[in-house]
Amino acid sequence: MSVIDQLTGELSRLPGIGPKTALRLVHYLMKGSKGDTRRLSRTIAQLAERIRPCRVCGNFSEDELCQVCSDPRRDRSTICVVEEAYEVGSIERTGQYRGLFHVLGGRLSPLDGVGPAELNMDGLLERVQRSSGEIGEVILATNASVEGEATAVYLEHEIRPLGPRVTRLARGIPVGGDLEYIDGNTIAQALAGRREMES
Amino acid sequence: MRLSGLTLRHFRNLGSQDLEFPPEGIALIGDNAQGKSNFLEAIYYLETFRSFRGARDEQLVGFNSELFRVTGTMQATDEECGTEVVAAAFERNGKRKKVSVNGEEPERLGDALGRLAAVVFSPRDTQLVSGGPKKRRRFLDIVLSLSQPGYLAAIQEYRRILQQRNVSLKTGQPPSVVMAWDSGLIKSGASVTRARRDWIDLRCEAFRDYYARISDGVSARITYAPSLSLTGAASEGGIAEAFRDALAVTAERERRVGATVVGPHRDEVQLQLDNGGSTLDLRQYGSGGQRRTAALALRLVEAKSIRESRRKQPLILLDDVFAEFDSGRSERVLELMETEETGQVVLTAPREEHVRIHSDSLPRWRITAGVVAT
Ligand SMILES: [Zn+2]
Repeated sequence: MSVIDQLTGELSRLPGIGPKTALRLVHYLMKGSKGDTRRLSRTIAQLAERIRPCRVCGNFSEDELCQVCSDPRRDRSTICVVEEAYEVGSIERTGQYRGLFHVLGGRLSPLDGVGPAELNMDGLLERVQRSSGEIGEVILATNASVEGEATAVYLEHEIRPLGPRVTRLARGIPVGGDLEYIDGNTIAQALAGRREMES
Repeated sequence: MRLSGLTLRHFRNLGSQDLEFPPEGIALIGDNAQGKSNFLEAIYYLETFRSFRGARDEQLVGFNSELFRVTGTMQATDEECGTEVVAAAFERNGKRKKVSVNGEEPERLGDALGRLAAVVFSPRDTQLVSGGPKKRRRFLDIVLSLSQPGYLAAIQEYRRILQQRNVSLKTGQPPSVVMAWDSGLIKSGASVTRARRDWIDLRCEAFRDYYARISDGVSARITYAPSLSLTGAASEGGIAEAFRDALAVTAERERRVGATVVGPHRDEVQLQLDNGGSTLDLRQYGSGGQRRTAALALRLVEAKSIRESRRKQPLILLDDVFAEFDSGRSERVLELMETEETGQVVLTAPREEHVRIHSDSLPRWRITAGVVAT
């Protein structure tokens, strides 16, 4: 198999890239400067070598502890639980959260053979237990899917007896959302989760 | 609402055709196996994006073709407004279904459901009465998904959670894992149960009335027999409570059998004859004629429900239905349909003499080997 075929095959396995797009990318790389292509290939190799899960929270990290866990300015009394490591970035980008994270590495889904043992749940419970009361709140930020909900319910039952307050991300109308174009389920959930107006 | 145009591309044996429909509808005449039912199947596909005969999408793609496409143009009548073009296509290779309304793809398939409103009357309908409870639940699910916002989402969520929960039970997961699914199961299940109960409560009189008119005075009833005990549980919250209690009661049994044993997936809809004080279950003891009458009454209720809940005059698709009725019953059915179903009609029949409804007004089309001659 030629290098071109091989690279096309590798690229087309990436999400959102079909064989045609993959071939176009290969053509682009062949036309471009050799330096650029080498730098790209080195960076990809570094990704494989350097990135590993943070020992404490499971976030992407280049060291034993991720940038969040090793930052002394973070609020150590709150843990935000997400399904996947790339979701940490979504919450970080808001700039509104100062606490720590915990990455489960998926969601409960018996259909796919994923139970509590397949997820990083023991690590979370251990963190809460070991903190001996320092962790006052666990925010469950699993997705609003059927599986994400069940994962949150399961964790809530496990964490609450250990002491911390357990909260769930609110669901509702997106910012800038126009009621006319929002589906009935979302509106119903936003209604159920309504709160007092702050004046 | 009426169908004014239909474009067919490789749907079953129908090839490539562009047809204009007259406002009153048509009678499609042709021998068996020429494609009469396929023609109705194509039209109804635009309502639910599924075959009413239970065929998979792959089976609907014409021989030697890669994809099929059906496009319908709907003309507004009195109460409604606007013209709508609904198109559906399926690609055999990628197994991709594409749906559009006025040229735009909706975010979810569910958003395009029910733009066309139609009711199919078919000889297979007796299975609604004689078949297992699943057939009747499916009937309710289709009617409710099309008429009640939120029902489709609730039933899909319920099915998904039920699957997950059943696998947890079957693989012997600890109770904490099984119970993680309970609140979702209860919430979606209560919503499904309430919608089904309310629909039958609202429509049971109409069923009784239609059955009596077709059978010349015989009294029949439709009753919801939910898996959950609903006595005193009027609200959705009350139903949810009943569901939670039932799960607690059955906890041991479901571990033993490895499946959830209560909930709307175990609902039944009873169709019974009032037999001088006692009742007779039509599924088990009904005669062929009685079952056909009950099935026809159900379809007429479906049409009435479309008129009242969706405010659309449904297109009536009659798939060679009158062949099997005895003459007295047949006359009464025809009379009933002529007065109740005043909208557009597309009927199929093997011979000219079988066109017995709106027979003076319906233009005759003929179909041979999938090709329609207007
Ligand atoms: Zn970390």
